[in-house]
Amino acid sequence: MLTIKTIDDSNIHQRVYQLNLGPQHPSTHGVMHFILTLDGEVVVACDPHIGYSHRGHEKMAENRTYEQYLPNPTRMDYLSGLIFNYGYCQAVEKLCGIEVPKRAEYIRVITSELNRIASHMIGIMDFVMGLGAITPFVYGWDDREQILDLLEMVCGSRLTYSYGRFGGVRNDITQEFYDGTRRFIDRMRKRLKDYHDLITGNIIFIKRSENVGVLSKETALEYGVTGPTLRGSGVPYDVRKNEPYSAYPEFEFEIPTREEGDCLARYLVRMAELEQSLNIIEQALDRLPPGPIRADVPRFITPPPGEVYFSFESARGAVGFYIVSDGSRIPYRIKVRSPSFSNVFVMSKICPGHFLADVIAIFGSIDVTVPEIDR
Amino acid sequence: MSQLIQLWNTVYAFLGHDVTAGVIGLLILLAFIPLHVVFLVWFEMKVCAHIQLRPAFMEVGPHGILQNLADGIKMIGKDLITPKLADKFLYFIAPIVIFIPAFVGYIVIPFSPNLLIKDINVGVLLIFAFSSLTVLSVLMAGWSSNNKYSLIGAVRSVAQNVAYELPLLLSTMSVVIMTNSFSMREIIEAQSPVWFVVYQPVAFILFLISTTAENNRAPFDLVEAESELVSGFHTEYTGMRFGLFFLAEYTNMVIAASMATALFLGGWRGPFLPGIVWFFIKVYFLIFVVYWIRWTFPRIRFDQLMNFAWKVMIPVALLNLIVTAVVLKVL
Amino acid sequence: MPTPGQKRLLADVKSSLSRAIGEAQIEERDYRRTGCHLEVRLEGTGMRRAARCLKEKGFHLEMVTALDLIEAFELVYTYFNYQDQNLRVLVRVRLAREAKPYSVSEIFPSAIWLEREVYDFFGIRFKEHPNLTRIINPDDADYFPLLKTFGKTKFTAEIDDVLC
Repeated sequence: MLTIKTIDDSNIHQRVYQLNLGPQHPSTHGVMHFILTLDGEVVVACDPHIGYSHRGHEKMAENRTYEQYLPNPTRMDYLSGLIFNYGYCQAVEKLCGIEVPKRAEYIRVITSELNRIASHMIGIMDFVMGLGAITPFVYGWDDREQILDLLEMVCGSRLTYSYGRFGGVRNDITQEFYDGTRRFIDRMRKRLKDYHDLITGNIIFIKRSENVGVLSKETALEYGVTGPTLRGSGVPYDVRKNEPYSAYPEFEFEIPTREEGDCLARYLVRMAELEQSLNIIEQALDRLPPGPIRADVPRFITPPPGEVYFSFESARGAVGFYIVSDGSRIPYRIKVRSPSFSNVFVMSKICPGHFLADVIAIFGSIDVTVPEIDR
Repeated sequence: MSQLIQLWNTVYAFLGHDVTAGVIGLLILLAFIPLHVVFLVWFEMKVCAHIQLRPAFMEVGPHGILQNLADGIKMIGKDLITPKLADKFLYFIAPIVIFIPAFVGYIVIPFSPNLLIKDINVGVLLIFAFSSLTVLSVLMAGWSSNNKYSLIGAVRSVAQNVAYELPLLLSTMSVVIMTNSFSMREIIEAQSPVWFVVYQPVAFILFLISTTAENNRAPFDLVEAESELVSGFHTEYTGMRFGLFFLAEYTNMVIAASMATALFLGGWRGPFLPGIVWFFIKVYFLIFVVYWIRWTFPRIRFDQLMNFAWKVMIPVALLNLIVTAVVLKVL
Repeated sequence: MPTPGQKRLLADVKSSLSRAIGEAQIEERDYRRTGCHLEVRLEGTGMRRAARCLKEKGFHLEMVTALDLIEAFELVYTYFNYQDQNLRVLVRVRLAREAKPYSVSEIFPSAIWLEREVYDFFGIRFKEHPNLTRIINPDDADYFPLLKTFGKTKFTAEIDDVLC
């Protein structure tokens, strides 16, 4: 039985009413529930309710060994599942002091960036679909199909990958994957130009997203916002540059940042990040070193007692894996700091004063994956 | 057989020429329009699919032509659910009120020099009067559904329809004062050397934008915005009731395109081919443009919509009317 | 290796933290093994003073979690300096089982939801929290899932599917 704090709007002369932007809605991608208090069409208060997709990943971690827990991080944020998978592996490697061979790091970077592009395709296009343009959404899924085919060649599955292992990756990349990725990079660069022509120059789109949902720098930092949402508000924070991990120090890429903090700024940051990801993949493919793809790690690992906090950048923001080990094969506690959890809370601060249509636009531009909030 | 002819003669003598012609014409239309609308829905889905670089349905019939017929049959077989706290009478008659006036507009549209049910001397006004009844029906549907989303959609629709009536009428007036007549037949006959779109390009564009807004088509479709309001005023309607709303929307679109062809593009005028073929070519071209716009642009927000109507379209329409009047007086 | 700027900020933070909370144990940690530069251990109280002190130095709250050590709780907060020097400070507070710590939500609004999650899963009630209700579990749940005594853990029953 759900008890929701409601206002009594049975009085027909009352001005303010509550609307459930409800767990089932075409635009809340995932099961997200907002209780909006509206005055006509202007939002007076916005209250996010979460917990509809809670699966107990953190409790599961206390009942499984480290290897048995490998499939779980992928399913938390299934859109950047490979990044989560690698992040968990890297956190445990940090705890145990395992050194990962160079080729494995490069493969991890290439597949992470492909996953990031695929996730951004959904994130950006869901935002545009929330505004009403359905065609770019279908184009974005076409690009995503190419990436999913590529990743299926190497990882074996299309959405929930479990390709990383402690000490490296499971198997080597094939020549088919290599050629396919090269072709994909060229194709994607042309498609980015098409997207900019279709969406970014469109005056209706600009009018719908400019000065909508302005998030100031101070508010963003105070609310713990990270990722493209923070970079759209003027803070150039990206874990790949601020706390480099894996093979990222060896690549040259920029962190696109914009100052305005509105929906248009966040959209442009994500589009610019697509280009940067393509640059990283190209550099990694050029310099791919030969060698082993997995370090020599015992089959059942037992990390020493201690704790580690490892932070990495998923498509949505800075994820943190906090692993506490007590010396046995089963972790004592794994806490996942999910970026969508903090990002969605800021909506209760920036939505009031906007129209109902803008709430959908703001929610789309923040780009949240709901199962990651609930874990 | 002779009894039938006798029956027919008494009916004809009783009703008179006009009413009989009207009734027969409406019956033909009643059979013809729903099939036409089903074809239009197929056309829209194909246009949408090819813009999105995918082949749409290909299975039911060649290139999926029978798909919408199958959808229609399925829709007829669905359960008609009424929400418990809905206002039963209004909920029941709202789809009927939106569907029937759409037919009345077809009486005055000249499909070809000979195919015209009845030429009324205020034909243009008749179409406008009956198509304004859709606002009433939308409001009834939204209010009686007992659903906040429907109500928001209905309220938006009323404001939008009222706002866009004015540029519609003003741009039509620019054509009417050029021909001194409200009758559709006379307007088409007056376009003999040159179509009116050459004389009144601004009015043509205003007319197209206004009818897109009146029919709640994108980019003005916030009334039934799927990403925000689930389905707007027809969220709670199921089965054939939803089918009636759907049919009414497409019927209104055909009437709007027919009016645009008659007023600006010369109606059935054109070389070589018979008049009715030209008429349908022009109507389909305009409908194709409306579909094209829908699948390319995002949706406008409500306050921007109202600003656009009251602050941009109405002044431009008024200016156009004044310039037309002055030029006609001077020349 | 910490850069000179980071070392300066680290020393600055250390000194102001030890001024603000005299009884804390402040240690530097190896960033490459643990992911944090500084660790602060507190007993029972002092989290809000640490939070205020860190906010003045430009740190922002990143994560709040709790550990269920069977005879006590331990609250762990991580603060990160997003803008200049990329330092992470981990502050832990050891609490008795029934203790009610003060919330830091006035200083860092992100703690509103993060502490709600800790309450939801561990049952630690925070004082002066604006809205301490369930956030992820059902609103009428009467259990706290992440306690070691809840469900099947290695402290309650034998786990049958682990190849130990």
